[in-house]
Amino acid sequence: MDNFAQVVVDGLMNGAIYGLVAAGLSLIWGVMDVINFAHGEFLMAAMYACYWLGSLAGIDPTVSWIATGAFLFLLSAVAYKAVVRRCIGKAAMAPLLATFGLSIFLKNFCLNRFTPNFRLLNNTALSGKTVNIFGAIAPVPQLVTALFSLVVIAALYYLIKKTRTGWAIQATAMDAEAAELMGIDTERVFTLVFGLGGMCVGIAGGFMTGYLAVFPEVGTLFSLIAFVVVALGGFGSIPGALCAALLIGLVESFAGFYIAPVVKYVAVFALYLAVIMVRPKGLFGW
Amino acid sequence: MVSRSAKGKVLKALGIAALFAVILTCGASFAADKVIKIGTIFPLTGPVAVSGQNCLAAVQTAADIINGKYDWPDFPLAGKEGLLDGYKIEIVAADHQGKPDIAKSEAERLFNQEGVFAVIGCYNSSSSKPASAVAERLKKIFLCGASSSAELTERGFNYFFRTAATDGIESEEFADYIDYLNKNKDAGIKTIGFLYENSEFGKHAAEEGKKAVAEIGLEVVSDVPFTVGATNMNSEIQTLKAAAPDAVFGAALGGDYSLMVRTMKQSNWAPKIFINYCTGYQSPAINKELGSDGSFYMGGMGYSPEIAEVYMKGALPAQEIYRGKTGFPLDSDSSQEAVCLHVWAQAIETAGAVDTEKVAQLLRTETFPSPLSLSGEVAFSPGGQNNRAFTVITQLADGQYKTVFPLDYADSELVYPFPAGDKR
Amino acid sequence: MFIWLGLLAVLAALAVIPGAIGNRFYAHVLVLVLLYASMAQSWNILGGYCGQVSFGHSVFFGIGAYGAGMAMVTYRGVPWPGIIAGALLAAAVSALISWPCFKLRGHYFAIATFAIVEIFGRLFLVWDWVGGALGLDYPILDDSWKYFLWSSDKTGYFTGAALLFAFVFGVVRFLEKRRFGYYARAVREGQETAESLGVDSMRVKLTAMAISAFLAALCGAFFAQYNYRVDPPMVLSLDMSMKFVLITILGGMGTFWGPLLGAAVLIPLQEYTRTYLSHFGAGVDQMIYGILIMFMMIRQPKGIMGFLAEFGLLGGKDGGDI
Repeated sequence: MDNFAQVVVDGLMNGAIYGLVAAGLSLIWGVMDVINFAHGEFLMAAMYACYWLGSLAGIDPTVSWIATGAFLFLLSAVAYKAVVRRCIGKAAMAPLLATFGLSIFLKNFCLNRFTPNFRLLNNTALSGKTVNIFGAIAPVPQLVTALFSLVVIAALYYLIKKTRTGWAIQATAMDAEAAELMGIDTERVFTLVFGLGGMCVGIAGGFMTGYLAVFPEVGTLFSLIAFVVVALGGFGSIPGALCAALLIGLVESFAGFYIAPVVKYVAVFALYLAVIMVRPKGLFGW
Repeated sequence: MVSRSAKGKVLKALGIAALFAVILTCGASFAADKVIKIGTIFPLTGPVAVSGQNCLAAVQTAADIINGKYDWPDFPLAGKEGLLDGYKIEIVAADHQGKPDIAKSEAERLFNQEGVFAVIGCYNSSSSKPASAVAERLKKIFLCGASSSAELTERGFNYFFRTAATDGIESEEFADYIDYLNKNKDAGIKTIGFLYENSEFGKHAAEEGKKAVAEIGLEVVSDVPFTVGATNMNSEIQTLKAAAPDAVFGAALGGDYSLMVRTMKQSNWAPKIFINYCTGYQSPAINKELGSDGSFYMGGMGYSPEIAEVYMKGALPAQEIYRGKTGFPLDSDSSQEAVCLHVWAQAIETAGAVDTEKVAQLLRTETFPSPLSLSGEVAFSPGGQNNRAFTVITQLADGQYKTVFPLDYADSELVYPFPAGDKR
Repeated sequence: MFIWLGLLAVLAALAVIPGAIGNRFYAHVLVLVLLYASMAQSWNILGGYCGQVSFGHSVFFGIGAYGAGMAMVTYRGVPWPGIIAGALLAAAVSALISWPCFKLRGHYFAIATFAIVEIFGRLFLVWDWVGGALGLDYPILDDSWKYFLWSSDKTGYFTGAALLFAFVFGVVRFLEKRRFGYYARAVREGQETAESLGVDSMRVKLTAMAISAFLAALCGAFFAQYNYRVDPPMVLSLDMSMKFVLITILGGMGTFWGPLLGAAVLIPLQEYTRTYLSHFGAGVDQMIYGILIMFMMIRQPKGIMGFLAEFGLLGGKDGGDI
């Protein structure tokens, strides 16, 4: 029974973290129909920022996520202005490949500047603490990251659904040309969406540095899972992304424990394929 | 009188032409006479870049020592400037990014194009295999430091030499130690689990480990390969915890190792004893970052700063040169790459000529003193394995590697059993 | 037509003149250019002409590589039966997995194909019959056409790559001018319109996929023979899949010469920056590679063929299918 509880708790916790990583990707994809291939590298950049804040200035990840979120908002908005905007609408896969180029660049830039060493923040405010949930042990840094990601996703959802800015984003997502005619500055909306997407992954990276080693390749597998989360949840649906992420976290955890740890990612990708055959636009896609 | 500026222009033009010629002939060397080129192929970028860059720094350290003049009586060739009658070693570094296909084509380039005398590489066993096959077919020397797959020296190659202990040798030593603990210390270790990365390296280490523990009658209750670069290790540790083996043999590199250590701590469970194959465990950089979380883990090591203080005094000045390049002391993996170059240099000095056949013959037959090796010497068996290679089992305590086995080398008592996360 | 013949003549001449290829590094680069051009062209059949952007081609490439590798290593034989079997299997597998995937549109299709790569790559890692994580290492054998292995000289590999190149490009040239080629392009331009005119789009796409996978598998077999080793990360990776896509798009998607141009630019760039820029620190070569991709996508997403058209170097015809 303990095992079962542990598997469920691990799955939900990891799922919520995937959700936060994927939320930004989902937003960008939904509004602009662009897959940001550099998403994993944005995560890495946020983690490096958080690591340097922690090791040089002594700022704890529980605080520095604000800074990494802001930093990633900027980085992402700049990436949009400098790269993505210039290739949207030219050819089907151009933005995807351009961001792929960006991801190679960022990864190797960090490798070159920061060396490939594995960096870990030690003695953070939360490190080493655990809590007991129904017999399962939950490490506090992951738990806080997971809970916080729910908060961030909720806030993002609120922003999209309930604010004027959010309405502008929705209108742009549905029909950019019509939105333009209605007086919405779509260019600004796109920049904002890219920035928000970056901010989500920046916050995620800020928290994750509390328990995960930082190195240039750290974002690779996260970004693959984030793609699957987004596609499984369906085109730009933020609740969809959250549900898909929790589902994927659980499938990973169950397959990892009850089948074999080595197939846990196979199970994730297989689940995605199975669902997509039944619902070609994802769980919440329309 | 030709004006100086005109002459300058001509020279400049010639210079540019020469530069183009060099580029066009694909950089076919700046043919200085008294230079022997040695190629290195390490993963300087990609997932294991940190190890690759350390290995390269270690080879460069050895080259600096041999090329320069140092007053170290215990270090062969340190006191002499260069090799033979004044040859200098030039290191030609190549990057295989962790990809076997690139390692193979870089080996070809280094031999055919750069004209290197020998190649040192490739850290990843999977890359060492095709790259050394190239050397073997060309009848050129391939020196291998830290690739641990025992299979490499079981291929019967004639020009392949490996200085590090294999995972087979390490596995037997681990098993010996557990047997010793059971018989003399009443440790009661009956079951074992394996936690290893699902790659050539991890898979092979686990296979050798299973063979070794079968001989001392341990029961394998859990076999957990994991994905390299995993996003979390919860299922892996959970699976181990559910099977609750007395001992665990681990094989994980860098980032995975730190994730494993932390996840294990959070799980509030630990086996009685956890021994690692020479990997993340032995990297000083990682252990510095892990801090006290890394304590009580154990592993096989062919080098550590602590052991060097006592048994390898000759290596200490070399360690300082290396520290100047990387900021860290030498580690078990990278020191073996330096041994490669050092042993090769001694062979060429003895041979008295830059001649591959003579050098290879000497490498096959002679025994070489090696201050960077724990045994103090290197000698290769047929197939190329260094038969003097051995490792000691160490345990980490407060960032220090304490040697616990073999008893002749032991400097401290084992902390046993391993305290679980909540009992630290 | 003249370019076509001229190119073949040059390739043939290089292969026949003794010592023209040799074992220098440029020979290696030349072999890779031909190999990657063939890979990109095989992808182009589906991605360029049919408009289905697949990130799954490394699966077929990998099956081909494993076909050759297992024939050589597991069964200690000659690679040829393995190559044929691998290519046929790849075609079959491709039809099987793309049948449901073709229902997906746009990015959903792309993500589904790369999920397939991840599944295959991870399953091969734990599948002992194919060597698992240990991979397959070729034994040392004499240089010969029988084993399709050479070590001292690249002429053999060069000839093999040139033949592969001629075969793949020949197949595409043949298809392009047939009814199938027009159907494929019709599907790309508008599936509904094509279907309303009586084109069975599913059948067209499946055929394109099977041919494409068959050819990609041949390239994979060559890759294994060339590197004396196969393991899952080498062939069954997203990285490898991206190569198929990148080269084609860089050269010009849906154009006949695009894949060759893309490979002729990207491969030497990748190989020479790696070897000459490593002095400037780790990763510099790949930073340049990344910047180049970004630049290309911003400046001219139609690839080098687009550039040529822009400068009026394509003899007045549209930049499309020449």
